[in-house]
Amino acid sequence: MTGATMVTGADGYLGRRVVSTLLARTDDPLVLAVRAADDTELATKREWAATAFDAAPGRIRVVAADLRQPKPFVDVDPATVRRIVHTAAITRFNVDRDSARQVNLEGTAAVCDFAATCVNLDRYLVLSTLYVSGRHEGPVAEHRLDDRGFVNHYEWSKWAAEERVFGEYAHLPVSVLRLPTVIADDDSGRVTQYNAFHHTLRLFFYGLLGLVPGNPATPLSVTTAAFVSDAVAHLLDDRAPRGVFHVCADPDDTPALGAVIDAAFAVFESDDWFRRRRILRPIYCDEPAFDRLTSAARSMRQAVLSDVLGTVAPFGGQLYRPKTFQTDALRSAWPGCAAPKSIPLVTSTVSHLVRTRWGKTQQEAP
Amino acid sequence: MSAGWGRSPLSGNAFVGCLAYALGERRIDLATSAANGRLRSEPRDLAEAGFAVHHVCNPTTSAYDLARAATARIAAAGGLRDVDAIIYATALPTNGTVGDLDTARRTRDIAHLMDFPGSRLQVDFDLDGAVVVGLNQQACTGLLGSLHLARALLAIESDWRRVLCVTADRLPDGAMYEQAYNLISDGAAACVVSRQPAAFRIIAGHQITNGGLGLAGADEIVGAFFTYTHRVVVEALEKAGLTAGDLDWVVAQNANPAAWEVFARLLGVPESRVWLPSVARAGHVVSADTIINLQALVDSGRLRPGHRLALVAAGHGLNWQCAILQATEAVS
Ligand SMILES: NC(=O)c1ccc[n+]([C@@H]2O[C@H](COP(=O)([O-])OP(=O)(O)OC[C@H]3O[C@@H](n4cnc5c(N)ncnc54)[C@H](OP(=O)(O)O)[C@@H]3O)[C@@H](O)[C@H]2O)c1
Repeated sequence: MTGATMVTGADGYLGRRVVSTLLARTDDPLVLAVRAADDTELATKREWAATAFDAAPGRIRVVAADLRQPKPFVDVDPATVRRIVHTAAITRFNVDRDSARQVNLEGTAAVCDFAATCVNLDRYLVLSTLYVSGRHEGPVAEHRLDDRGFVNHYEWSKWAAEERVFGEYAHLPVSVLRLPTVIADDDSGRVTQYNAFHHTLRLFFYGLLGLVPGNPATPLSVTTAAFVSDAVAHLLDDRAPRGVFHVCADPDDTPALGAVIDAAFAVFESDDWFRRRRILRPIYCDEPAFDRLTSAARSMRQAVLSDVLGTVAPFGGQLYRPKTFQTDALRSAWPGCAAPKSIPLVTSTVSHLVRTRWGKTQQEAP
Repeated sequence: MSAGWGRSPLSGNAFVGCLAYALGERRIDLATSAANGRLRSEPRDLAEAGFAVHHVCNPTTSAYDLARAATARIAAAGGLRDVDAIIYATALPTNGTVGDLDTARRTRDIAHLMDFPGSRLQVDFDLDGAVVVGLNQQACTGLLGSLHLARALLAIESDWRRVLCVTADRLPDGAMYEQAYNLISDGAAACVVSRQPAAFRIIAGHQITNGGLGLAGADEIVGAFFTYTHRVVVEALEKAGLTAGDLDWVVAQNANPAAWEVFARLLGVPESRVWLPSVARAGHVVSADTIINLQALVDSGRLRPGHRLALVAAGHGLNWQCAILQATEAVS
């Protein structure tokens, strides 16, 4: 396999879509780097890849690469690799600092070390998050960012990884793609990966949470996996400029949290079961109140609220820190780019969630 | 869905006084109740929430016994004169009768089910002229509901002078003493709503019932707490022509104090003004909490004539109620 594109986290939510997109749009052979604890897990992941990408036998090779190892890519010949898309990460907002450091920071450094040995490397994309901006408020530019503090270890680790890339590995042909929250696979609103966005809405729909953390005016950037993989395919092209790109809608097209909640409730309220229960729209609460609620919920260990707040709360802090993400670099690198329209996307996504009762049924709601 | 008592021409004419309560005789700590299977949560979680002990009746003590004990305190203070009506509120329908279900089954005579505790109270305390009204679908908000109802009765019946409001609940043997992550106690409370001035003037009251959540589980009750409790208080204040800033005290029911702290922030009142000092020593005494806490506020010496209070409770049904009161000179 020469001139290969290697995708880390290739069996992750975005990794899989990136692989599909590259299979469809290029003729490149692909190296799918996956975490596998042992041969059995690797065999299972190989079987999965053979089924998932059955249209491309011979073009893909699945290798085990645990980013917690000092040299994860011993099974890959660096000379064969022309492009790398690094998606692997621990993506839970409630990840502990040490695991985040190990995988998201040191793991990225390990990918960079490997990239530095790839003599034929043309392009190296690192998937990051808009929230490397941490506690920053106001406009966020598409360049290296200062440490303004972070609301969770995930954000910090992604920022620290970027710092490594911009510092020690600046000589690599690298681009950093900062992503917003991915809420659906595509414009249809289908959801196959559930994150804090979906979990929070689930609490509201089932009447389990009456408060929204955040300021209703805080912009909330959301997108689809299809848009992200499209962006990856464009920015991976040798002709695309390198740099930092905010892979999201323009600030003017980014809705406020309040508009997102209203759009979600408009969908909820069209559901007979929801309407009959007369669940009120939630109240926006200030940060100390939300922190108090989160700590109080811990004493209700058995409550659903406690469970879900554990995953939602680490992101809640962002909703008190309004910021907008500039997209000039993305627009100029990818002139035809059309980010999904946010409110229609929220509406189609929430409709899917309500129809399937958050994935519990593929049928219409009971 | 909601109903209330705005500022009517009679709004100055109903007062609340003669507060009294009684608790189940056995004072039991969390570990003991956990060991006896009365709790769902871990004792440490309930302790972290602010609960410490609760009160459970002896096997032979009934809810009616608790009601009688609370009423006896009012009687001892001379508060039962001129009572024209008794409103007897229970959260549990089983406490709304002192009848014997087994006898009713055996004899197939439903009369045995209609041995009413309010009637017993009337005769036991020689309240001969008093009529009895039962209130049994407002759960933990029943006592506040009885204040509203008493005020309405006084407005309609021009010759009535005083209405005795009683609430009493004792959980059936073997029941869990935990509801919606709150530690429950057996207990009763009573007070008198009168046309003549007493410790508190009733300014307004408001109730919201959401039957759509009638079968809500613990998590849904917790989930609806902030939105509905906020709404019931705000709407009660609107009826009183007041805002949250006009409140000196929010006298709460004995639910998770941290939830009330959050609620205080939502409402915009200082946390120090949310008053529920009896959580640890009394537990959540069904619908009696607000009277227990109101009495504690009087006893604390922190209440001043003119202070405005919101008494707030949420309960199954689901129900939320709020009574806006103003302390009179009588509190000092
Ligand atoms: N999805 C979003 O909303 C979003 C938003 C902003 C940024 N991003 C960024 O986009 C990238 C992809 O996100 P995603 O949503 O696709 O995440 P995901 O579904 O959680 O996938 C993460 C992938 O990383 C792998 N991984 C985790 N620990 C590893 C380790 N020690 N060694 C090797 N691989 C490891 C996972 O493998 P196992 O499952 O086998 O552990 C999985 O394949 C991440 O860098 C994330 O920070 C995503």
